[in-house]
Amino acid sequence: MPSLDCPEKETLEEVGLDAPWNVVVHNDPVNLMSYVALIFRRVFGFSREKAEAHMLEVHRKGRSIVWTGSREQAELFVQQLHGHLLLATIEPAPQTQ
Amino acid sequence: MKLQAADDGAMLLEEIPPFLFRLLGEIPGRASSKHPRVEARFFPEPGSDQELIEDWKTLVEPELHVLFQSARETVRADLRGASASKGGFSMRIPKPHGDAWLGALNQARLAIAEESGFDEKDMAAEVVPDPEDPRAMTLFQIGFYGFLQECLVRMQD
Repeated sequence: MPSLDCPEKETLEEVGLDAPWNVVVHNDPVNLMSYVALIFRRVFGFSREKAEAHMLEVHRKGRSIVWTGSREQAELFVQQLHGHLLLATIEPAPQTQ
Repeated sequence: MKLQAADDGAMLLEEIPPFLFRLLGEIPGRASSKHPRVEARFFPEPGSDQELIEDWKTLVEPELHVLFQSARETVRADLRGASASKGGFSMRIPKPHGDAWLGALNQARLAIAEESGFDEKDMAAEVVPDPEDPRAMTLFQIGFYGFLQECLVRMQD
């Protein structure tokens, strides 16, 4: 049986309560680009340019980190994005030393 | 079909051919699909944390159900207000209903695409409506809803 590399385990406890979280939006083939940009402007208050830059990042790279901050706020943003049927998740932001 | 903005910000749809009006009438029903792939797409997991996923199902999903249902009901009511004449059907989407239409059209597009298993390539394909080709007709329906969404986005810009 081949050995498997065991990834370093990251538990939520290790990510402190005050640690920042990312809101990530993922690509899907159906949502219109103009619609996604509109929702970014509404939910995050982005300028047209910033909203379109994130929308294009989602389209080209498959995902874009659209916001980083407290977990509670990140969850609220994801809830709003799901309300507009955008694929969004939260994930712990990498900690800088 | 003619689309124009009214002075009060409403979107006016006039001379809608019966075939396109039938597609408009299908928005709430298509958006209400209970297909497992549609359910999974409408209510995605918010992350990998199991506790968050369970809380989400209990607390957030019921609110999303209400939100989606409300958008479909608004569209249904506006469709009931349509009138028929010799030139086709006419209806208006009041400005305060724009978000509900955007949402319901999005629901319908996503639901149809999930039910049909369409991928990025399918969605980008040029489609000519052909009554003999159910797949082409389904893609046309998604495209028609997308066109209306684009018009609503522009009106809200």
